[in-house]
Amino acid sequence: MRSHFKAEVSKSVPVEQEAPRVVPVDDFVRDELYPGYKQPFGSQPFVAGPVRPFSKADNARYWLRDSLHFSEGMVPASIATLDDAQTWGAQLGAEIVGVPPTRGSVNRLAGTHVYIGTIDVDTEWQVQARAARFGQYVTPILRDFDSYWAARAGELQAAYDHLDNLDLAALDPGQVWTAVKDAYAFHRRAWFIHFEVMYVLTANYLAFYALAEEIGLAGSAVSGFLSGQQTFYSRTDEELWRLAGRARELEVTGPLLHADPAGMRAELSALPRGSTWLAEFDAFLRTYGQRTEETCRIDTPSWIEDPSAPLYAIGAFLAKPSGFDFFAARQQAIAERDDQIEAARRAVNGSDLARFNEALAGNQAANFAWWNEEHNYLIDRRAAIPIRRATLELGARLAADGRIERPEDMFFLFKPELYALMEEGVTTAGAKWPDLAAMIPDRRAYFEDWKHRGPELPTMLGTIPDTVPDPIMIEVFGLSGRFLETLRGGSGADAAAQVAEIRGFPAAKGVVEGVARVITTVADLHLVQPGDVLVCGGTTTEWTPVFGIITACVCDTGGSLTHAAIVSREYGIPCVVGTAVATQAIKTGDRVRVDGRAGTVQVLASGQ
Amino acid sequence: MARLGELASLGWRVPDGYAITAGALSDWLPARARAELERLFTAALPSPGSGGVAGAPAVSAVSAVSALSARARELIESQPLPSALADAVGAAHERLELRRLGGGTGRGVGGGAALRVAVRSSAVSEDGATASFAGQYETYLGVSGIADVLAHVKKCWASGYSAHALEYRRRLGGAGPQRAHDLAVGVLELVDARSAGVAFTLDPVTGDRNTLVVEANWGFGESVVAGHVSPDHWTVDRDSGEIVSRRVGSKQAWSVFSPAADRVVLESAPADRAGQPCLTDDEVRYLCRQATRIEEAAGGVPQDVEWAIARDVPFPDGVFILQHRPETTWSASPADAGRAGAGPATTAAPPAAAGFDPVRYALRNVFRVPGT
Repeated sequence: MRSHFKAEVSKSVPVEQEAPRVVPVDDFVRDELYPGYKQPFGSQPFVAGPVRPFSKADNARYWLRDSLHFSEGMVPASIATLDDAQTWGAQLGAEIVGVPPTRGSVNRLAGTHVYIGTIDVDTEWQVQARAARFGQYVTPILRDFDSYWAARAGELQAAYDHLDNLDLAALDPGQVWTAVKDAYAFHRRAWFIHFEVMYVLTANYLAFYALAEEIGLAGSAVSGFLSGQQTFYSRTDEELWRLAGRARELEVTGPLLHADPAGMRAELSALPRGSTWLAEFDAFLRTYGQRTEETCRIDTPSWIEDPSAPLYAIGAFLAKPSGFDFFAARQQAIAERDDQIEAARRAVNGSDLARFNEALAGNQAANFAWWNEEHNYLIDRRAAIPIRRATLELGARLAADGRIERPEDMFFLFKPELYALMEEGVTTAGAKWPDLAAMIPDRRAYFEDWKHRGPELPTMLGTIPDTVPDPIMIEVFGLSGRFLETLRGGSGADAAAQVAEIRGFPAAKGVVEGVARVITTVADLHLVQPGDVLVCGGTTTEWTPVFGIITACVCDTGGSLTHAAIVSREYGIPCVVGTAVATQAIKTGDRVRVDGRAGTVQVLASGQ
Repeated sequence: MARLGELASLGWRVPDGYAITAGALSDWLPARARAELERLFTAALPSPGSGGVAGAPAVSAVSAVSALSARARELIESQPLPSALADAVGAAHERLELRRLGGGTGRGVGGGAALRVAVRSSAVSEDGATASFAGQYETYLGVSGIADVLAHVKKCWASGYSAHALEYRRRLGGAGPQRAHDLAVGVLELVDARSAGVAFTLDPVTGDRNTLVVEANWGFGESVVAGHVSPDHWTVDRDSGEIVSRRVGSKQAWSVFSPAADRVVLESAPADRAGQPCLTDDEVRYLCRQATRIEEAAGGVPQDVEWAIARDVPFPDGVFILQHRPETTWSASPADAGRAGAGPATTAAPPAAAGFDPVRYALRNVFRVPGT
């Protein structure tokens, strides 16, 4: 069905059936990725298709805004890294693993903002053929996941050891360009690894989920059984907690609690023992600082370049009421997990118990809940940093030659443009350096304009389906029937107005009343105050420190596997995800009641 | 190993060799090293009731388990063997070399004069009816010379502390002790295999007792039991003994002895070999008859039987039985077939037999693929 879906459906659907709700993509239809830039046709060997602007035909399918991973939009250079990740990586991963119902994801841009869609496998033969090879691919990996992941983590780490340690300033220009190309090649490989592992592990997890339901347990409890494992991120949090403790000992808490991050270092240095603390903080950054706040965004600095985020996190820990013990909270969560496992074991018996134990063991050994956090520091938050670093060095050389104004201008060139210029001296469209340099201000303005429009964009565009056939999308992005139903009921403000009680997926138990803080981008995270109920589109690893100070978490997106669900359980706070409309129905300052077991959120009193 | 000894006494052809019993191995670790091992594990286990003490790593953390494993293995492998044990193994090995001069399994592996052996580890409980701990410990193929044998005997014992073995025991034993079970080590002459693989006395996919399955590849059987390739696959009717189906696998890789590595390694298979079935129909039928007889001798419990056919030995004298064990994982998916319960030669097999196969659940219950 390639023609305009809305018109066709309104004629052909029987009257007693409700017409599918279409949120037209028409406002976002473009034939250029950025003004003046058309994608070179067939330039990349995609399994299914590269990142594109919306076209009218896209009204026939659903498109979910991925504010979870990309809240602020994409500069031109980030479109190549997005291509590698959620587009190429997902498509190749799904193809190689042989996931039966899906060929991975495709991306569309509304302005500079990312929407994700899936490619359903729609013939019976293909489903069967994929099912046949799926087992062959997945089984050996699940048999010895430790070794499998160790090999891949080792490969990634070896690449970082090479790329991160390049002394770029000492290289000649040709070598800098080589570094850029190597960094891009590595990036693509890293994202294939990401999706290969992700598909295998989500299948393992969902199999456990299905078994739990079959033997009379709640499938939604399964991710709780798998929580509490030590990850690179929990170690990061422990280090931040420790640094907060050191700040108290060294009596340097003042600037951490009150100063603007930009001036914090200077204020700390001025204190008697401030430099001691800063030395420890810098040592922390050397191990934990190779990460950015968002995925694929090559315009975002690493923590090493801009440590505002970890400094904020330390301040947040310092602001916790005294007596809060980070480690005790974690241990408590682990003890509760073990209690839940024991309770589940008592509830089943015989062969059901044996299968439960086997599935639990298999999932502990190949644990999606663990990997979902752990892999971020090796892939999502890090893979683009070598490209960023080498690109900025190249930009510095080009700026010195007068070809561009500032090194950061490089982010406003598309990868194919950059490659053509560096290799041939001219793009396929015939543009040379001066032509491109002239476009950069307009592109920058376009990006900035769209950046502010992000929060107004519809959660879903195109045809909102009754169900989504890809169970992985359901669990990771929370595309449950109820989520879709809420969206079909209206979108944005319409839906919000109709909702008396917001319902979502019960992700972590507990009942809390508190004041809501609506946050739509990780950049605003510093606005969260101790005791707030966080209301957001969704959280990623970068949001983790804030869970130490909030009292509850509510998200528009997400299922049992999402970050917010997993982390809330570990921090022992109630959490409701997959509400579809929370950020629109709730305003900062509203008094809300979050029931994490029922999966409901009520607005008790308006803040205005 | 005892099982293989029984087979030999029943008249099956098994490779010549000797075993080092569990008692001997658990005794040899010096007291100081035993204490150090104890300390490693005590430090890694969370002290009960300690709540949230910083620096007490969760025992289940993968990195902690890996680090613990690496240290335990290094500790064990660095210990000298007591001279009495080394002498006894040396003497047994010398006798094996002498016996081989008088016959053995055929031409020497690698074409050299040296005797090549397989050093296999086996938990004392491993081949028990519950099939627990199957595949947790390691096997080294192509080892030669007494010094090398002794080094690999230690490696086998240290493999009781591999990360996956630790994790496996932790899961089974809850928060209980993480000590390795006593391991027996077998040193068996390496059959210079032309073809090798596994015979199942039931269809490992469907559990059908009327069907026998043979899976095989050129070269040593490790490529089959470790699941590295799509092997050749035959199904045979139990009653008639006739071949019901045959599928030539792609067999992209094979396990061969590499003189350069001085070990058996996995290599790309030559294209002309890969397309050819690695067994004749006669060999398939013969293997099935042997497997059925082993099943009978095992009291009728379905078995999987690992075998190898030596090159340049007239059929059927070249057919050697390497090991067998109860087949308990019949619910496994097709991809499991080559590996189900494959034992010491494979790596971390999840606990078997209870009937949860993640692939089957994913396909049937999650992806809802019709017919699964």
